[in-house]
Amino acid sequence: MTNILICEDSLTGILTGIYRAYEWKLKPEDTVIQIGEEGNLVLFAEYTHIEPDEDAAFKVIRSIKRILGESVAYDLETALLSDDMTKGNAVYHTVVLALNDKKTRVMECLQNDYVRKVFELSRRVGNEIHHLLGFLRFEELENGVLCAVVSPKSNIITRLAPHFTDRFPLENFVICDEKRGLVVVHPKKQGWFVTEGAAEMFATIDRSSKEEYIQSLFKHFVDTIAIESRRNESLQRNMLPLRFRPYMTEFKC
Amino acid sequence: MEYLADSKLSVMDKLEILTDAAKYDVACTSSGTERKGSSNGIGNSKACGICHSFSADGRCISLLKILFTNECIYDCKYCINRKSNDVVRTSFTPDEICELTIEFYRRNYIEGLFLSSGIIKSPDYTMELIYTAIYKLRTEYRFEGYIHVKAIPGTSQLLIDQIGLLVDRMSINLELPTAEGLKKLAPNKHRKNILAPMRQIQNGIRQNKNELVLFNHAPKFVPAGQSTQMIIGATGETDYQIVNVAESLYKKFELKRVFYSAFVQVNEDKDLPSLPGGPPLLREHRLYQADFLMRFYGFEAGELLSEERPNFNTFFDPKCDWALRHLEQFPVEINRAPMEMIMRVPGIGVKSARRIVLARRNGKLDFEDLKKIGVVLKRALYFITCNGKMMYRTKLEEDYISRNLLTVKEKLPFNWDGTTYEQISLFDANMPSIQPEIFRAM
Repeated sequence: MTNILICEDSLTGILTGIYRAYEWKLKPEDTVIQIGEEGNLVLFAEYTHIEPDEDAAFKVIRSIKRILGESVAYDLETALLSDDMTKGNAVYHTVVLALNDKKTRVMECLQNDYVRKVFELSRRVGNEIHHLLGFLRFEELENGVLCAVVSPKSNIITRLAPHFTDRFPLENFVICDEKRGLVVVHPKKQGWFVTEGAAEMFATIDRSSKEEYIQSLFKHFVDTIAIESRRNESLQRNMLPLRFRPYMTEFKC
Repeated sequence: MEYLADSKLSVMDKLEILTDAAKYDVACTSSGTERKGSSNGIGNSKACGICHSFSADGRCISLLKILFTNECIYDCKYCINRKSNDVVRTSFTPDEICELTIEFYRRNYIEGLFLSSGIIKSPDYTMELIYTAIYKLRTEYRFEGYIHVKAIPGTSQLLIDQIGLLVDRMSINLELPTAEGLKKLAPNKHRKNILAPMRQIQNGIRQNKNELVLFNHAPKFVPAGQSTQMIIGATGETDYQIVNVAESLYKKFELKRVFYSAFVQVNEDKDLPSLPGGPPLLREHRLYQADFLMRFYGFEAGELLSEERPNFNTFFDPKCDWALRHLEQFPVEINRAPMEMIMRVPGIGVKSARRIVLARRNGKLDFEDLKKIGVVLKRALYFITCNGKMMYRTKLEEDYISRNLLTVKEKLPFNWDGTTYEQISLFDANMPSIQPEIFRAM
């Protein structure tokens, strides 16, 4: 008899699911954490909807940090940012494996399918974060605020924020996640926070008077720097996938 | 020589001329130093380096790569800015450089500045101008991002010392692998003028590290280290000579990186080779592969090439080539061999080797596990055993394995799939490969 726990697609939701699995002393071999809706129903399975619970989620993450260490907790959290629907189950079974044997080195056991899945997800998300740190482009608005729009596959703008806060402490900037309707806001000389907001509301605001000039300088710079006899568009596409380009100054027409 | 007054050239024009003039310098990484921002400046630095864009030739754009000026008193034959070329000459002012850097940096277009230069009046005169610009950028504009400055051969010690405290990386180009090559193509540059500042920077870095141990907040001298660049294919050196030069640069001068730049025909000159096939990209690729083998895989230059085999194999990468010539070292047992030996197996890189060594602590590994870990089994299977057994029954014989490896084509970053044509003869004893026997040894 399989227990299927249906959790909300958020860090809190999935961690609550893990908490309940332990609270109700469910057997890990028979338990599956599913994200989102019920989908195709499975015979001989019991479905339970899990309500996200902040306290429960907090207790889980605290235990993980305490027993398994900061770096394992970080890897698990990173994997949970991805858009893969099996992430909840993979993380749950990895936690089970780790807590059973108190393995702080659980992420090295790549023979295990669940551990490997968590590893692949955290690597994929980590790569996307690293790409966006470079590919994100700010535009200066009339009032001096720097505004950037991205559309990442995983939910990562909260991982971009600390980097830019450290880099531009004296700037007012915002980073919009167009896909999810979230915005990171950083007022000058302060910390950053996340709020809901549509990217469209920034599209209508005028850019500063210098903006177009600087953009044209950069576009020209990028065009000039290529060595014609080494031209290789497919290599360029490998390194810089097409999906990033609509948001990058030098590729906009 | 066309001479336009500065006021007639806009910043856009200058940017075009001075970017175009700087583009053959490939040392454009932003890695090597980790620095947090201070709360009253702009910028920080990431040790891994960040690629902000990629140009149409596929190379990373990470820094604002420009020349301070393209005027030059030297006449190096391979350089587009050589004295005897008739091109428009111009310079940036320090303010223009600072404005460009800051405006690009704020919009996250770049990680920092890469500043090289032609030579006005003398090396020291030019380097002093560069110093003024960098000083302004660091102090007046409070820029804390990455700065990479090219030192001109023959710069005096004092200037090297002063500039080194402001920048993250400083480098001097070797230009040609040997002194003879340098004399032929760049007679104004002398080898000792290149090696002396390199040595000085090396000593400065070492001394600074000692000072930092004693006093944590001592100002840092060239924290991201030194690099250099060699032109490949302009003169007749063999790959063996080049790789030896690189090895001694890493060992004796403690350089962080050596860069290899395939010779691009920009000038007509009787001393320059004509390259009907375009720049020697495959050769450059092989050199980078050999460079990585020396830095990360523990290979020595003498293991990869020798006097008898002075050039790289066009069909196989250097690691594969080494493995085929040293079959007595194989097969390697995955569950017991030391990491240094596992890394030498074709198809297993540094990351996979590390993962194997960590994973095998938690249980014996089999071929299925290796595939999941990310090993390229199509190449590695000829060289490894898991628990004593090879994946398929194969002969450890150079010709047999070579033929099979040729069918697993190497992914080259440019359009050359390696096909060449050979005249078939009736006397060919060995025909093209057939699938190896799928026969698990019992």
